[in-house]
Amino acid sequence: MQEYILLMVGAALVNNVILARFLGLCSFMGVTTRIDTAIGMGLATTFVITVSSMGNWAVEQYLLEPYHLGYLRTVTFILVIAGAVQFTEMTVRKVSPPLFQMLGIYLPLITTNCAVLGVALLLVEGKMTFIAATVFAFASSLGYSLVMVIFAGLRERLALAEVPRLFAGPPIGFIVASLLALAFLGFSGISTS
Amino acid sequence: MPLSNVPPDDSPDLLQPELIEGLARVVAVEGELVWLEPETTTTCGGCAASGLCGATGIGTTARRLQFRRFSLINTPQLVVGERIVVGVDGRALLKASGTAYALPLLIMFGAGGVAQSSVGSDGVTMAAMVSGLAIGLLAARWGAQWLGSRGQLAPRFLRRVDCDATSQFVTLES
Repeated sequence: MQEYILLMVGAALVNNVILARFLGLCSFMGVTTRIDTAIGMGLATTFVITVSSMGNWAVEQYLLEPYHLGYLRTVTFILVIAGAVQFTEMTVRKVSPPLFQMLGIYLPLITTNCAVLGVALLLVEGKMTFIAATVFAFASSLGYSLVMVIFAGLRERLALAEVPRLFAGPPIGFIVASLLALAFLGFSGISTS
Repeated sequence: MPLSNVPPDDSPDLLQPELIEGLARVVAVEGELVWLEPETTTTCGGCAASGLCGATGIGTTARRLQFRRFSLINTPQLVVGERIVVGVDGRALLKASGTAYALPLLIMFGAGGVAQSSVGSDGVTMAAMVSGLAIGLLAARWGAQWLGSRGQLAPRFLRRVDCDATSQFVTLES
């Protein structure tokens, strides 16, 4: 159990997808204008990353590795991710049309971004078991969601602040993001002993 | 003065539920109902290069927008082609995304945890998690029905918008 907790802390905080690996920056800047939408976006991305990582683990374990098709990994993973996104969208639409319509108005349902592929490729590097890979993917996406929500909260406050004209808008956003990344760097000093 | 700056005296009314706004276009009028399509949203839509980027093309075809059509009662006498702002309570959006995404994941991990602790095989855990995901999606359906029966999934008409509303939204957000 302890190894899974350490895996989760490492994936969510120490090696945060956004602030340490610099993946998913487009959604980080694009959907963090409100805390509500950032939480919704984080949940959608968490779902997609977790489900697609499960699929990618199975493809790697039962197809690419046994048949020495590693050179097709990136293309195959993109296909699996696209399939997972389509599956998510179709399932939500079929299972609950009102939910699909409401989320479709306010949230970008298509949650494909480089973080999804990045996490899948990190799983392969880690040579993990199925449950460890799924926990790692889930924790990575939780870290992504956490940073999205923190940054959305900061941007809501920034909207009320008197920012010099030169830094107004995205520039002050990037400065705040860099300070947030420095703060998260502190997690790399965690000792498990 | 930038649009994003709000005077400090305008403190929000905490008793009023905060509404999240979205843009939609009227595509059909049928009797007392008006059918709307939400404006395409992508995670990176605010990027200056979004028009050239291939990522915006994934899953954002007109066919998909048709699937997202929703209806409202046409009390404001809307006509085809008009763009309006629709709003929903922020907490309702959280409940909806929690029901659609978090609930299936929780049930999936519960099933996976039980299978892993009792059997310990990757294959069995995988099968249990896929089954858990299916059960979770069914649970999401019931949850959505419950939310829908309380009227929490229905967006409300807020106001009409002019042609440059999108640019105003972008200005406010950026």
